[in-house]
Amino acid sequence: MLRRWDARQITQYQNSNDRENIMAENLNSGDARSTTTGTTGLVHDDQHVAEQSTGTAGSTDDSLNSYQKRHRRVPPWIWIVAAIAAVAIIVGGVFAYRHRNSTGSVAATSHSISIGLKLAPTNLDIRNETGAALDQVLIGNVYEGLVARDADNAVVPALAKSWTVSKDAKTYTFTLNAGERFSNGDALDSKDVAWSLNSLISNDYVNAQALANVESVSADGATTVVVKLKAPDATLLWNLTGRAGLVLDEDAQYDAKTQAVGSGPYLVQSFKQNESLTLKANPHYWGSHKAKTQTVVLRYLTDDNAAINALKSNNVQVLAPITENLSSSVSKDGNFVVKAGDDTDKFVLAFNGAGSKTSDKRVREAIRYAIDNKALISSRGGADAMLGGPIPALDPGYENLTKLYPFDQAKAKKLLSEAGYNASKPLKLDLEYANIYGTEIGDQLRSQLKTVGIELNVKVVEFSAWLQDVYTNKNYDLSLVDHNESHDFYTWANPDYYFNYDNKQVQDLYAKAVSSTTNSEYESYLRKAARLVSEDAPADWLFNYRVTTAYRKGVTGFPLNLNQFQLPLWNVQYRA
Amino acid sequence: MRFLVRRSALLLAALFGMSVLIFLALRVLPGNVASVMAGLNATPDRIARLRQELGLNRSYPQQYLDWAGDIIHGNLGVSVLTGRDVGVQILSRVQITFPLILLGLLLSCLFGIPLGCASILASHAKVRHGLHLLALVGGAIPALWGAMLFILLFSKGSGLINIFPSQGFPDNGWKQPGSALVSLVLPALTVGIIVGSSILRYTRSALQEMLASEFVNMGMACGMTRVQAVLRIGLRVVTPQLVSVIGLTFAEMITGVMVIENLFGLPGIGSMLVTDIGNRDLLTVQSELFVLAAFFLCIGFVVDVLHRILDPRLKNAALLSSAGGV
Repeated sequence: MLRRWDARQITQYQNSNDRENIMAENLNSGDARSTTTGTTGLVHDDQHVAEQSTGTAGSTDDSLNSYQKRHRRVPPWIWIVAAIAAVAIIVGGVFAYRHRNSTGSVAATSHSISIGLKLAPTNLDIRNETGAALDQVLIGNVYEGLVARDADNAVVPALAKSWTVSKDAKTYTFTLNAGERFSNGDALDSKDVAWSLNSLISNDYVNAQALANVESVSADGATTVVVKLKAPDATLLWNLTGRAGLVLDEDAQYDAKTQAVGSGPYLVQSFKQNESLTLKANPHYWGSHKAKTQTVVLRYLTDDNAAINALKSNNVQVLAPITENLSSSVSKDGNFVVKAGDDTDKFVLAFNGAGSKTSDKRVREAIRYAIDNKALISSRGGADAMLGGPIPALDPGYENLTKLYPFDQAKAKKLLSEAGYNASKPLKLDLEYANIYGTEIGDQLRSQLKTVGIELNVKVVEFSAWLQDVYTNKNYDLSLVDHNESHDFYTWANPDYYFNYDNKQVQDLYAKAVSSTTNSEYESYLRKAARLVSEDAPADWLFNYRVTTAYRKGVTGFPLNLNQFQLPLWNVQYRA
Repeated sequence: MRFLVRRSALLLAALFGMSVLIFLALRVLPGNVASVMAGLNATPDRIARLRQELGLNRSYPQQYLDWAGDIIHGNLGVSVLTGRDVGVQILSRVQITFPLILLGLLLSCLFGIPLGCASILASHAKVRHGLHLLALVGGAIPALWGAMLFILLFSKGSGLINIFPSQGFPDNGWKQPGSALVSLVLPALTVGIIVGSSILRYTRSALQEMLASEFVNMGMACGMTRVQAVLRIGLRVVTPQLVSVIGLTFAEMITGVMVIENLFGLPGIGSMLVTDIGNRDLLTVQSELFVLAAFFLCIGFVVDVLHRILDPRLKNAALLSSAGGV
């Protein structure tokens, strides 16, 4: 145990002598005292150290004391100077480093670009898996439909270069472009189109109800497709821009959950669930939307702060969406552009039409009057638009209905007292919504409704629990969902939908709209129906969400409108 | 040997109990994978057909037996949502979470144990109190805040000193070992500081007790200095305790590092569990949970065995007690 003892150790040993003497005493003095040995020893040790530091000799032997380490007092100003110097060196180094990093880059078009998105698809099976996250990345990039949507949500040619509609509006004849190919090299012809649409209907894949009016789809020669309808359907063309109109390769064999074979400008190189989707330019691409950037990596960043860090650290060059409230740090930075685009997302606060309290129209109206939509929008950063009814500005049949139920607390209180609620018997309501929308919006609604005497109990749950409680069982008072689908007025004409909204007049008007043969007729019926719905107050359309996108300077061709539902990437380029 | 057999039997019984518990607990959750797959605007027919296809209509005992049978055969199943093998999925996530935890634990031991010793042995009272304060403050740092601070200080792009990447893991994973390791530095530092503080506190209090013990007194009576006695004898005696703390911390951190994984965009086990539970992909979740629970139990097993090896006294105690029992 005792190795070479040098003089210093001997000093230490001697220094601790008196403590050990005490310990020895303690040991001798029996059990009762020996239990306190440690603490006594400790206290004594402290005193001992204090003695040492004040310079009292540890030993009576001067020759040993001369080996002892002495604690020299350093004047405080030296510490201050040293600290200032250290800080100055670090700061100087940091600035030098940053300066070095910020210079010396040469502008060149990049072969790859990374884009940060928020909601990730669980798999790539576009025929069985729902969710806008899948439409967003695959339609127009990997899969193509007969027709497509442009940035203003209008129908434009895609696989079909043109189409004609018969006089009775029951036969649509599409002509395909020549030389169309899938990414595996297979030719795409009218047979693939007919097979895709027919199998969608017969297997009831996602969105098959969009083709409910279709009687038959048949190929007529290699480039002509004839779609026959049971009755005129003004929504058909638009429906074909979505999943219902996608053309898949009948002969291709692949695992649809992790791979995709389509005819678009990109093909799927790899897909990591919740992490990233890598698209590569399709070498067999046939059309005019040839990919300008070879590789596009879509990264899924669920945490808003992490997403902004990724943008700032150039891990992604584009972030869509960026949370409006957090965007100020990015927009102040001269390297980025932050812009909002139009969208069809409707934040719908639905009132259960069959609920025990919300079936009373006065209650529903009171809630609409009590909500200050402007305050909601400004607290979210101010990019969103006011919305007074079920149809947003980018959809047919839009009319500004925000005047119907303006923010008016006095009116809300009056309606509530007419309905039999007062301070001693307040109206108590439950609001249930999915946690993806955050807790702030629920808190705000609770405080807004509190001022008119409504007690709102907010339940923020997982999406699957919401699906069970609200969507399937319709067991709710108030529910909040972002209905992001475009052209979805049909939900208000469906009495079985979770809204429990059953208005014969609206249903008739919608049926007339669908069967109308001209666009203006279609839109005027929809407009009338939308006004009726809004007047009935089956919901409050809190706002029309507008997506905010942030991108690094040098990025061009990134779509700003509607980019959470369709994100055509062929035109995107990054010049570093 | 007898100990090993008994301990293994306990492990197996616990695994069985765990599997039943996991299975039942998940069935209590509202919602199901069929309606999540079908989404909004789906017809009830479609949901019913999906339920049929996914086998959600079978009775619970039937579902349990099918699943347990697969597990015994080493088959963790295939996710109905992603179409991927659950085992492969866990493996790919483990490749990120485990290195992160190991690196974090390594840092925390490097930081916690020496400072823990110093906080007892430092000659200056100020230093000792300072270290105690450091342990308290370090332990009180919320993971999220600490991580944000590290990002602000060291991350590429948004940091003051931009040296470390703060987002994501390289696409090729460990095929690029350099950049993979670098991407774990900041998260591991965060883990290291927080866990290190608790190890510091633990070491400190364990050694504090040691100071008052006969072990140290004996050592010093044999002529060791106090420092020598504490480090050579005291630390050796508390090692088994420290090993159990570190082992349990490891197990706890598998899900505990979730916040950190999320913030640094690392696709680890925590985020996998949260998404799968959110999607009600129950078959996948129960396999994942089972693997994790099994891992937990195995760590407990290893810690117990290590205890035996590190602390010969336990062996004698067991011998005595079993002898007494007979």
